[in-house]
Amino acid sequence: MNITRFTSKGFLIPGLISLVILIALVTLPFYGSLYNVIMVTSILMYIILTVSWVLFSGPTGYMSLATAAFFGIGIYASAIFLPNTGAILPLLVVVVIGGLVSSLVALGVGALTLRLRGIYFAIFTFGLVVLILELGNWWEHTVTHTRGRFVMLVDNDVIFYIMLAIFVLLMLTTYLIRRSKFGLAMRSIGENEEAAAHIGVNVTMVKVITFAISAFFMGAAGVIWATKLTYVDPYVAFNPLFSFMPVLMAIFGGMGQIYGPVIGAVIFAYLQEKLQTEFPYYYMLIFGFVLVAAILYLPDGLIGLIQKLWRLIRRWRKGGAAKQDANT
Amino acid sequence: MWKKIRKYIIPLSICLILISTAVAGCAEEEPAPAPAPAPSPAPEPEPEPAPAPEPEPEPEPAGPTKNSIVIGASRPLSGPNAPIGDAAFGPIMQMWQERVNAEGGIYVEEYGKKLPVEYIIYDDATDVGTMVRLTEKLILEDEVDILFSACGTAFISAQAPVANKYGMVLLTAEGGATIMRDALYGLPYVFISLPFSDHYQLPVFAEMAAAKGAKTAYIITIADLHGVEYGGVAAIEFPKYGIEVIANKSVPITYTDFSLLVKDAKAADPDLFCVFAYPPIIMPVTGEMMAIGFNPPAVLMGPGANFGFYGISFGGDPMTINGVTCFAAANEKTSPEFAQLYADLEALVGWPNLDWWGHPYYAPLVQIWQEAIEVTGTLDQDVLRDYIASNQFDTILGNTYFEMFGEFGGGLMVKDTHPGEIGQWQDGTVEIVGGGDWPGVVLTSDWVYPKPDWPTP
Repeated sequence: MNITRFTSKGFLIPGLISLVILIALVTLPFYGSLYNVIMVTSILMYIILTVSWVLFSGPTGYMSLATAAFFGIGIYASAIFLPNTGAILPLLVVVVIGGLVSSLVALGVGALTLRLRGIYFAIFTFGLVVLILELGNWWEHTVTHTRGRFVMLVDNDVIFYIMLAIFVLLMLTTYLIRRSKFGLAMRSIGENEEAAAHIGVNVTMVKVITFAISAFFMGAAGVIWATKLTYVDPYVAFNPLFSFMPVLMAIFGGMGQIYGPVIGAVIFAYLQEKLQTEFPYYYMLIFGFVLVAAILYLPDGLIGLIQKLWRLIRRWRKGGAAKQDANT
Repeated sequence: MWKKIRKYIIPLSICLILISTAVAGCAEEEPAPAPAPAPSPAPEPEPEPAPAPEPEPEPEPAGPTKNSIVIGASRPLSGPNAPIGDAAFGPIMQMWQERVNAEGGIYVEEYGKKLPVEYIIYDDATDVGTMVRLTEKLILEDEVDILFSACGTAFISAQAPVANKYGMVLLTAEGGATIMRDALYGLPYVFISLPFSDHYQLPVFAEMAAAKGAKTAYIITIADLHGVEYGGVAAIEFPKYGIEVIANKSVPITYTDFSLLVKDAKAADPDLFCVFAYPPIIMPVTGEMMAIGFNPPAVLMGPGANFGFYGISFGGDPMTINGVTCFAAANEKTSPEFAQLYADLEALVGWPNLDWWGHPYYAPLVQIWQEAIEVTGTLDQDVLRDYIASNQFDTILGNTYFEMFGEFGGGLMVKDTHPGEIGQWQDGTVEIVGGGDWPGVVLTSDWVYPKPDWPTP
């Protein structure tokens, strides 16, 4: 084991920061108000969707808009296995089932469609959301004659800790994938798919597996999110907004670094919450303005801006030091 | 220079906006209550003495201090439900707040004084997830004294368990469904007010239509809880009266072109044409029917056709939609109290925002709240819940009370309070043409069947 790798400045500082944040999160229910716990749960949900989206779409360059489909499958798994009349299966088992079913759908869909590229893939994945939504509607309307489904209530702290656990697992998975040969293969696909195939990367397999891994986390988050909604119908479950929000959050935060989408999701979700409650009549206008401005002027996201500023400061300091040397 | 501005100054400005918004949000521990749907007069500084039913206020209250009754609501200020929210419970909220505050507020014995009503209203953007989050914020962070209803059947279905979880009394407004009624056994803090599908709108309509000789029905429903609910109940109730459902088609909420569907309905030549959907669907369907001259003997539409704005949506003259049947409970002719209510509402929000289905039930809701607070003298939710569950109220509907579901369940406003179930556009207004067979039903006109032709363009 290369000890220096783990004690180097490059690993130690981000590692320590992550640890402090994790401790702060784990202990949040002990010092934070109940509403803070609920709000952080909501932010964690957005982070999971955004980081899962970036896990696949970031390195491969494939714009997936299927997030709402996988998230919705998780929500429906919850509605089926955790009805308000009494849980059919334990909560954690349903979380895994929701993730696995989403993964299986992603495997099937990915195997069929990941040969599509660019705009075609984006359109197909969004079509998948609409297809599943309408299929759900038809099923509920004509087959089960179900008029909405109630999901059992779960304690807010339990929801928070499960969401946190999914988040931690996702971050670990993302970190490991990015540092593995698998992650390298994904990046090579994003750079040049033909070249990647020529050097021996099984591009279809890499894409399909990553698509399925990202769908797992989206589905698992959907299961636990449904216990907050308490009421589910196809429109609630397969809300297309959940396909677009992660993309915007990722662009907002920046996709170059692992923490970019996290920062984007945190700020975006928090900003949405604050604007919605402080300016209920104008928040859409303000939100739209910030969004357009951010996309126009922050092409690399907030992280890109911070990196740019950091480089500027270093250059300025170097320039200052050089001037001082010249004077002495 | 411009390059530098674009590269650094603009992104920095965006960050500053973000940071300042976040800081402002953090700094404001107790957010200022948002304005009501429209500006209301300031409460009088020196409250008038309490009216008759109130006990004499103590000159120096020894109890806890409080300056207002804070009422929270997560409402659709934007999105597809906004037109309904603005015209349904919204005007009642606004009118009640203005009236109460003009009188100095509601006397609350535990505080020994009259307290004006303040609203905290958030925009749920017609999204259930947002509504749930904002409802929790209202309860947990804003610590509102009273929670008002969200708007829409799916929305109150999601809000009811949340309110119940935190022990907040919820008197629901726009919406109602059989699924909610079934769930009432486990929702002791929830009280449903608005009549819905089999309680008793569609059974009454089916009986009326059968009496006129209707034999077939063509149904279009919106693909959400409301549509599934009404389509499902119609499929059960219509055959009971010998009416065959020849089509029961569900359309997504995003559907905009109804030409093929309306042509298909015209070709089927039904006696009853029912559209159980919201204004964004019933409006274009009505327009399409006029355009192709599809005029079946009865057209039932809702929700949406029960609002004034539906009447003026086709050339500005409500006479154009004469004969359209809708869900409605009362109008200006039902009683002098209703005549006053509609006159006041029209003066406040205008004729297009009158609602002949919902307003007769939302006005009693605020009367019930006010009486419960004044009589119990507290804002304690458990006390208020028990009072509402176990008492009858003298409201604009007459004797009003809730049928309770089990020992630890919620309540459903009893059918005997319903002055009507079915309305019809006649001579530019909604007349009440159908109701149950219980005392208290006030029909203001006969049902015109078959409906008159659409006006020729």
